[in-house]
Amino acid sequence: MTEVVLSVGIGMLFAIGTFLVLRRDLVRVIFGVIVLSQATNVYLITMGGIQGVAPVVGGHGGHGETAVTDPLVQALVLTAVVIGLATTAFALVLAYRVYEEHGTIDLDRLQGVER
Amino acid sequence: MTTTHAVVAPLAVAFITAVATLAGRAQPSVRRTASTLGVFAYAAAVAYLDYAVLTGDGSVLAYQVGGWVAPYGISFVADPLSAFFLTLTALVAVPSLLFALRDLDGYGDQFFHPLYAFLLVGVTGGFLTGDLFNLFVWFEVTLLASYALVAFRSTGKETLAATRYLVVNLVGSALMLVSIGGLYGVTGTLNIADVARRVADPAAYNVDPVPVLGLALLLISVFALKAGLVPLHWWVPSVYDAAPPAAAALLSGVVKKVGVYAILRLSFTVLQGSAIPVPVRLFGLSTPLDVVGVVLLVMAAGSVLLGGLTAVDRPSLAGTFAYSSIGQLGFIVVPLGIAAIEPSVRTLALTAALAYALAHGLAKALLFLVSGTISDATGTTRLSDIGGLAGRSPLLAGAFLVGVLSLVGVPPLVGFFAKFAVFRVAATSSLAALAVVIVGALLTIAYATRTWNRVFWGARTPAVADADVDRYLLACCLGLALVVVAAGVGYDPVLQFTQHAANAATPAGRDAYIAGVFGGESA
Repeated sequence: MTEVVLSVGIGMLFAIGTFLVLRRDLVRVIFGVIVLSQATNVYLITMGGIQGVAPVVGGHGGHGETAVTDPLVQALVLTAVVIGLATTAFALVLAYRVYEEHGTIDLDRLQGVER
Repeated sequence: MTTTHAVVAPLAVAFITAVATLAGRAQPSVRRTASTLGVFAYAAAVAYLDYAVLTGDGSVLAYQVGGWVAPYGISFVADPLSAFFLTLTALVAVPSLLFALRDLDGYGDQFFHPLYAFLLVGVTGGFLTGDLFNLFVWFEVTLLASYALVAFRSTGKETLAATRYLVVNLVGSALMLVSIGGLYGVTGTLNIADVARRVADPAAYNVDPVPVLGLALLLISVFALKAGLVPLHWWVPSVYDAAPPAAAALLSGVVKKVGVYAILRLSFTVLQGSAIPVPVRLFGLSTPLDVVGVVLLVMAAGSVLLGGLTAVDRPSLAGTFAYSSIGQLGFIVVPLGIAAIEPSVRTLALTAALAYALAHGLAKALLFLVSGTISDATGTTRLSDIGGLAGRSPLLAGAFLVGVLSLVGVPPLVGFFAKFAVFRVAATSSLAALAVVIVGALLTIAYATRTWNRVFWGARTPAVADADVDRYLLACCLGLALVVVAAGVGYDPVLQFTQHAANAATPAGRDAYIAGVFGGESA
């Protein structure tokens, strides 16, 4: 059941992100990129397998042969989240600069400005 | 100081430079001195690494970060291939930075130097890392610095170009994470040498081999986007036009090559020798490397033709060179594709590709600097506004001529040897490949001749009559032009280094890479 919910959720996120990236409004495009990178992060979590218990060695070491989930993917996602934060912040500032320079963030009009 | 520390020396130097220029940014003299010292120290560190790689007993040096044994930690690996690309980086970075010292003086260069240093950090990390996820991180470092450099002057044109560049690359980064995550899910490791080991023997490591090829191709498409291969090239022209000349020189000469290097690593270190079944049997494809080779060849042929054709009628110098970059990148990737398809000429083809990467990196960086000098002197790079510059500044004309002749491939410049090697490889491969490179070469001659005639000959336009060519900027251009000439006249050591680097991508080199990562002493 978890697999189904997760895969549908990831698919939805990718779809929403793609839809937003293709919009005319620059801020919506940036939101689309944010949603895409979150979709990627959720997908990364699933790559470590979603069975098993939390990878915590409690008490006096582990007990027996319990399968744990892969903790590495969570470290990867943490890294990706931080990088995503930085790029998103930069993207929003850049969108604001575009608005200051051109007086619009409508991408169609911006393309017209360029030529 | 063991030799494994040499591996991270360039990275450490670039990072220290970035921090120092950031800390001393309020004082012009401090930041400029720190930046200049830093880039020379970087070149020295790269030279030290070259020495360690080329003279050591094992030519693959691995540095395990934090002393974690591979494949559990992050490895930094230096083999002749990465050393080769780092050498190109240092050769382009030094004159570009010296150029920027004057070119951006009084332009609020406060943040230029840290950004430039961080760009070097990202590129260096990308060339040295032996870990897939870490490669993604270095790509991001490079990109974040380059977004800011592209938007540096921050007028209407630059902000728009930076926005386009940013959105394209963020989508690319998401796809890169998807493919890297997928590879991790399938193989259970992120260490490049370990992935190579596991896909070579899927059964022993309990790897499901079927998804590997698709994920690898997705990853290669992302690298092709970073390298600006057709059909993923549309962001290139506006970006190179917008960036300051020194940054454009580095972006075109070096940052694009990170994509090429990553394609090389993935193809020849990871997929070579893999026992993955190929589901689609077209044109007698039997190994994953064949599939990669065909994909690369198609993209490269498109790049050569489209880049060359579009460069022929650009209205400005910067635009011409940007499209020329797309075409020239095709010349690098054509032999790569041939190397992937035909094992018999693999070393020869790789040597050609690497020689071309070096020749293009140097020549294109030189041309961007010359274009920047012209722009500084006349206030424009529009071809219709410039003419008769040769009489105003013969030396600048000479530097430009060295650059375009190297692109065209005239002996004794380094471009000639590289182009000759590409032609030889294409001729042994197929008629189609040969036709593509011949047409590409003719197009190169066409746009080189056109820019030369329009800019340096003809009647002097008002902009040129009032032009005052800055001696210092000219000196930077001439210095880089001398490197282009020297690399061609003294081609023998260059060739030896190139062959050494190409060997790193053969089966023996691949085995040495894996052995180097796992058997290397942990620092």
